[in-house]
This record gives sequence, C-alpha cells and structure tokens, in this order.
Amino acid sequence: MRISDKLLQVKELHKTYGKGQSETSALKGITFDVLPGEFLGIMGASGSGKTTLLNCIATMLKPTSGNILLDGQNISSFKGSQLAKYRGSKIGYLFQNFELLDNLTARENIVLPLSIHGENPKNQVAKLQKLAKQLDIDDVLNKFPSQMSGGQKQRVAAARALISNPSIVLADEPTGALDTKNAKVLMEKLSSINHTDGATILMVTHDANAASFCSRILFIQDGVIFHELRKKVPGESQNSFYERILTVLAQLGGGSSNVL
Amino acid sequence: MFFDFIKRNSRKTRKENGVYFASLIISIIAFYVILSLGEQDVMIYLKTVESDAVARLLLMIPMLYAVSLFFVFFLVYFANKYQLQLRNHEFGLYLMMGMKRSKLFAMIMGETLWNGLIALIIGIPVSLFLTELISLATSRLIGMGIIGHQFHISWVGLGLTVVGFILVQLVAMFILSFKMSRKEPVDLLNDQKEETQRILSPAWSIVSLLTGAVFLLGAIFLCIAYGLAILYLRSLDYKIFALILIVGIAGTFMLFRGLGSLIGAWIKRKSRSSTGLFVFTGRQLQENVLNQWGSLAISSLLILMAMVSFTYGISTALNNSDASSKTADFTFRGSEKEIVSVLKSEKLESYVKEFYAMKVGHFRTPDTENSENEAPSAFSWSGLLESISSEVKSQEKDILLSNLTARESPYLISLSSYNKLLSSINQSPIKLENDEVALYSDEEWSHSHGLLRSVLQSNPIVSIGEKQYKLTSKLYTSNVVADRAITLSYALIVPDDMYNALAYSSQDSYLLNMVLESNFVKEKGLMQAMYEVDELLKTFGLDYESYLSSMGRQLFYTVAGSYTTFYLGIMFLIIANTVLGLKFLMQQKSTRHRYSTVAMLGASVESLCSSARIQIWLYFGLVISVALISSIFGIWSLLETFPNSININNGTITIVISLILFVVFELCYIWMIQRKSDEEIKKLKEIG
Repeated sequence: MRISDKLLQVKELHKTYGKGQSETSALKGITFDVLPGEFLGIMGASGSGKTTLLNCIATMLKPTSGNILLDGQNISSFKGSQLAKYRGSKIGYLFQNFELLDNLTARENIVLPLSIHGENPKNQVAKLQKLAKQLDIDDVLNKFPSQMSGGQKQRVAAARALISNPSIVLADEPTGALDTKNAKVLMEKLSSINHTDGATILMVTHDANAASFCSRILFIQDGVIFHELRKKVPGESQNSFYERILTVLAQLGGGSSNVL
Repeated sequence: MFFDFIKRNSRKTRKENGVYFASLIISIIAFYVILSLGEQDVMIYLKTVESDAVARLLLMIPMLYAVSLFFVFFLVYFANKYQLQLRNHEFGLYLMMGMKRSKLFAMIMGETLWNGLIALIIGIPVSLFLTELISLATSRLIGMGIIGHQFHISWVGLGLTVVGFILVQLVAMFILSFKMSRKEPVDLLNDQKEETQRILSPAWSIVSLLTGAVFLLGAIFLCIAYGLAILYLRSLDYKIFALILIVGIAGTFMLFRGLGSLIGAWIKRKSRSSTGLFVFTGRQLQENVLNQWGSLAISSLLILMAMVSFTYGISTALNNSDASSKTADFTFRGSEKEIVSVLKSEKLESYVKEFYAMKVGHFRTPDTENSENEAPSAFSWSGLLESISSEVKSQEKDILLSNLTARESPYLISLSSYNKLLSSINQSPIKLENDEVALYSDEEWSHSHGLLRSVLQSNPIVSIGEKQYKLTSKLYTSNVVADRAITLSYALIVPDDMYNALAYSSQDSYLLNMVLESNFVKEKGLMQAMYEVDELLKTFGLDYESYLSSMGRQLFYTVAGSYTTFYLGIMFLIIANTVLGLKFLMQQKSTRHRYSTVAMLGASVESLCSSARIQIWLYFGLVISVALISSIFGIWSLLETFPNSININNGTITIVISLILFVVFELCYIWMIQRKSDEEIKKLKEIG
C-alpha cells in the first residue's frame, strides 16, 4: 500500500491534560490510518479517550505530541488562518447535538460552510439538491431548526458536513440525541453515501447498533487502541457484525469492571 | 466569607458589564448635577434678581428627578433582568448545593448594594468636580465676576442622589429576584438552554406577511404624525398633541415590529448567492430585531426625545447672545428734581454719560376730566385696522385685531425723548412730516411685528381728533425704558407739541433714562459696571430699575432652559444606548455556541469579529436612523411652535452642533460595544 493511499494518518498521538501532580494522560500513543472511502468507527467507554482523539483530529484540540496527517499535511501543526481553511472544507463535522444555527433556515445552514469559504452557493445548487434528496430533507430546506424533528435536524447537519466535499467527515456520537428509528435512518443514509459517493467517515460512538454500519471499528481503552474489528467483506451480515461488536464490548466492560 | 463571595461576584459583574456600570456612574452624576442646580453660582445670583422664577424652576427639579429615577429604574430593571437570566444556571447550582433561598436573595441584594456603593464612590467625586466646572464655566462665560466663586456641596442633592440611586436599584432587584425565587432549581438549571433554543415564529410565512403589513402601517402612522406635528402643533392644542403622540409612538412600535420580517425577506432573497458570513450576520440581526422590537422602539423614541431636547437646549443657550436689546442702562421714576440731583451728585457724576426724560403719557380720551381747556379728542386706529383686516387670515392677525380694538386710546411717546434714546444707541432719529406719526411696539409683542411691518408699508391712517395721520413705514421697537418700568403694547410716537397737547401724564409717572459712561462700561464689562452703580444707587433710596434685571431674567431662562433640556437629553440618550448595547451583548452571550459552531465550520476569529461589528452598526443604525428621521420632523415642528425662542439663523448652527454632539456620543458607544463584543468572541479562541 502506498502512502498516498492513506487519507488520514495518526502517528504516536499523545495528549496530557493539566500539569504537575494533576497531570492526566488521555491519549497514550495512538497510531492508525484511515483509507479513502472507509467508514471507521471508534468505540470505547466514557473516559477512554475517544472524544479527545476525535477533537485532536477535528483540530479542536492540540495534541501534546505526535502527528496527524490529512492528505499528507500535518494538520496538528496548523494555526489561525490555515486551520480556518481546513475546517468546514477539508473536514466536515457532525455533532451529537446537531449544532445547527437555530436562526438560519436548513438551506442556509447547509450552505454556510461554502459561503464562509468564499464560494458562491449558487454554484453548488446541484450538489445541495442531490444531498437533500439522498438525506430526504427536500421539504424542510426552507424551515428553521425549531420546526424540524431531531432526525431531520441531524440529516440537515449531515448535509452541511458533506456539502463542501470534505476529505473526511468526523462524526461525534451522531445518533446520541436520536430515537432508534431516526438513528437507523441516519446511519442508513450515511452508509449509503459512504458506499455510493465514497465519502470517508470517522465516527465515534457508544451505540453498537450504529457501529454495525461501519466497515472497521477501533476499540479504545485508557488512551490506547485495545482491539480492532473488520467487517468481513463480502458476506458478513450487519447482524453478525453487530454480534461481534457486542462481544468485544462485553470484554471491554468486563475488563474495566475487573479493574475497578 | 459570604461577604468575600459577594465582593468577588460583583467584581465579575462589573468586569463583564462595563457598559452598564459606566451608565450607572453617569446617571449618578446626572442626578447630582440636576439636584444641586439651586446651589450653583448662577442660580444663587439669579435668586437675587428673579427669585420667583428661580423658585418655580427649583420646584420643577423634583419632577425632573422623579422622571429620571423612573428611567434609571427602567435601565436597571432591564439590564439586570438579562444579567440574572444568564446567571440562572449558577443560581440553580447554588440552590442544589444547599444554599437557602433567603441566602441567595441576600447574596443578589448584597451584590447590588456593593456595586451601587462602588458606583457612588466613583460617581460622586466626579459629579462634584463636574458641577464645580459647570459653575465656573457659566460664571466666566457670562462675565459674572460679581459674586466670588465658592466651592459648594449640595448636601441635600448628595443625599437625594445616594438615596434615589440605591433605592431604584434595590426595588428593581427586589422585583427581579422575587420573580426568580419562585422558580424551581430545575428550571433555573435549564433556563439557559431554553433561552438559546428560542424559536422564531413557527407560522413563518403568514406572520411575515402580517408583519410586513404592520411595517407599512407603522410607516404610514409615523408619516401622519410628522404631518400633524408640522401643520398643527403650533396651535398647541392638547388634543392634537395627544393624537400626534399616540400616532407617532404607535407608528414607531409597529415599524420595529414589522422590521424583523422585512430583514428576513431581504436575507432570503440574498442568501442564495451571498458569500462570507452575510447570512449569519443578517439572521443574528433579524433575531435581535424580532425579539426586541419593543426595546428598539423605546430606545428610538428616547433618542428622538434626546435630539429634540438638545436642539432646544443649544438654541436657548445660543440665543443668549442676542438677548433683548439694551437701550437705557437705568430708568428712574419719581420727581425730576430729586433724580437729577442724585445723578449730578459727586458720587455718581463720573459714572453717568447722559440722562434724559422719557415722556410717555396716556392719550386724553373724551371722558378724561381735565382742567385745561383744550378740546378732548377722539382717537381711532381706523386705517390701520382696515389694512390689517385685508391681510390673509392668520392667528397673529386675529390677536392683533383684538388687541388693538380692546384699547380705545393708545399711549403716546414724545418724539424728542425717543430720538434721544435712539441717538444714545447710535441709531438715526425719526423725522416726522406734518401729518405723520410713528408706531411703537414693545419687543414682547414681537409675534405681531412681522404682520405690522408689512401693513405699515402702505402707510395706513389713524385718526386723532379731527385730523388724520399717516403712520410711518417703519415700526419702532427699541425699549423705551431699561427694563419693565412701563411696557407698551402699541403706542404712537408723536411730535412734541402734539404730545404736550394730547398726552396726560401724572407727576409720579415721570420717567428718566440714564446711560452709563461708555469708558467705564468698557473697562468693567457691562454687568459688573451696572452692578457697581446699582450698589451705589441703593444708598439714595430712589425708585429705579436697571437693565441688569432684564439681563438676569434672560440669563435665567437661558440657564434654566438649556440646563434642564440638556440634562433630560443626556439622560434619554444614555438610557437608550445602554439598553440597546446591553441587549445586544446579552444576545451575543446567549448565542455564544453559534459563534463557536461557525468557527468550527471554518470562519476565522477576525471574520466573526467583523460580523459582530457589522451587526452592532446595523443594530444601532436602525434605531438611530428611525430616530433621526423622526427628529428632523420633531425639530421642524419645534421651530414652528416656538419661533421666538429659536432663532432661525441659529437654527442651522444649532442643528449642526446637536448632530455633531450626538454622532460623537453614538460613536463612543458603538466603539465601546464593539470592543466588548470582540472580547467575547476572542474568548472562544480555544477553538482557534
């Protein structure tokens, strides 16, 4: 495999909070790669360091040491305007609580990253329509967030994350605030976009159901990668992958409960 | 420990709400300045000349004070309402950690008191300094070296300032914390979230249609109010006045109510092709307008009131320079012999330039019993009345006609004495032809002078006895006496022999004008010179008056008029701007998460700051522009209503000065709010 094939490279990532006696290590040297078109899940218990990892990749947090390379560029060393350029254009975000601007309509929310990066949204009308169709949000485009259901909000947020053709979409517990039905719809949509358009998605989740849509899952415990699961392609059904995820989670849970 | 806690919290409040805190200090200063008015040098002096008017003004001050207390209450209430709302989560936590409600209440009250105390500690020395400065400046400006300047502290004013200020704060906070104390902790903990998820109206399209209509209606209402104000306000009919007020206020409120959706429609049209943070900026502004249309309307009205007050204040202050014209310096009444002997006495001689008798007498009507044998004569304004009647109908005309017909016989002024008066003020004397007389009217009747002057152009006729006389085409208005020894509405200046034949004047109405030595006046300044001679004259026990009291009266109206209107203007302006600024900052704070989301989507801190700056400009701009448009009409109708007090020549200067003052003030405020907003956004920097 050539280096250029790797979309995202995380190398020896360390992150420590605090100083002196109160120092705590959240990440203790994590290394992994993400390939283009992959749907990667990251799972782990609360406090395992998965959100810290995502925040580092999302450029919301600076790692103490180690590198994060996106398309061969070390984004962990970026500052100010360089960062702003990457956010929203090279990286798309999907948050647990949607983070839609509630005084903007769905359409305005979706095209916001484009206009922020100086692109005229008019040129992307086709892309907007395609995404709206794929995510089934055609009829809410002119509505405000307060007039939508939670599922619709998250799908609008997904459209916003995808509109600028980012290299990678980072999703932080995207199903966390949704009921099971809406969570399923969202995951199906994301996975179909991943399949058809080859969008690369990195998702942090608690939810084994949601994780079963991924093609690969990293399990993190106490700041290190503890296990990795790959969906067997072709052939493995979502159900059997789900079973395997549950087994690992049980081991994880068992492991930590033995320690504590 | 509890006290430390209060101190720490209030320090935080002061730091985070610097604008509000500054406004509190300014309101303290304003309170003291108005309350100590009675102890200012000028006022102390004026009490000696115009004690009645000063007493009336001083009676008005408690009213001004009450009005400003009310407005400050409004400010404190709204500012704290939002501050407390932002702290609801914190309060909920205190309660959950076991703080008693009574203690929480005590804590909030304690913080208010502590902040109030600090504001007083800063505000009072500043206000003492400022009142001294004003006192000194007015003394210098008016050239009043007469009374030695003394450092005054108005203890009553100080007491009332402190009590009023603290009371207003405590009452406002009491109401607010009482409301809050009835909430459950869970509501307090969740309140902030509710606020941020505040929804825009759900039935969007219908509402926007309706509000668009409301906007139009508001604009129409305002136009009606403008029209009414300009056409009918001069008649000072309270019904019309009330109508203008109601229509204007309703119009302003409706305008702002509808403005939000107008902005929405505009954004919708633009949003599909806009780049940068245009949509975000616009929607933030729209939300502000939609949620706070009431405060925006109130602020706009307050700014309008401030503008009108400023214009009025500045024009009264400027008009001082062309106060009522001076003719004689002193006028004496009494026996000629006595007066002349005093004026020629050693003590006074060197001060006196000249003196002359001012012969003014009543026209002898047929029923006037007179020992002398001359035939009593009839008098009629006939020709003048006719000429006036043929003029176009106006209010002045009606008043003039009724004034002239009410008095059958006019006063007469002897030509020689009036000519002496004219020569003493370096004006050319009147030359009367055989059958001519001249018309005199006191400056106080100036409302009719325009009309009279135009009528006189045709030299109308008056009949005295059997004979008819032409009126000269010039109207004479130079005051016959120094002040108000006699005020003549309309009188005739007649040749001396005619005066002697027709005028009746009793011995005790003998008037004598005196003019001071010009070198002496030049050396000492008019006021000081008159004051000195006045002191001397007092020792002789004569009945006299001086131009000093005329000046004093003028000065009083100037000082009173400009002082009170300036005061009100500044109060209105401060309150309007603070409410606006605070509302903006509070909204920005409660929508902090939006700014961080936009930053996450790739907006730089600089572009966020500039978006907020644009929001502030537009937010203030909307309110100010509506207020300015209204104030154009407000000032226009002010000029129409009080043409006497506002000299049109001064009008432009006045308007320019008030505009400059206003713009500088607004720029300072906007700059302050923008700095604060930048600070807030930079706090989000952990993500950049």
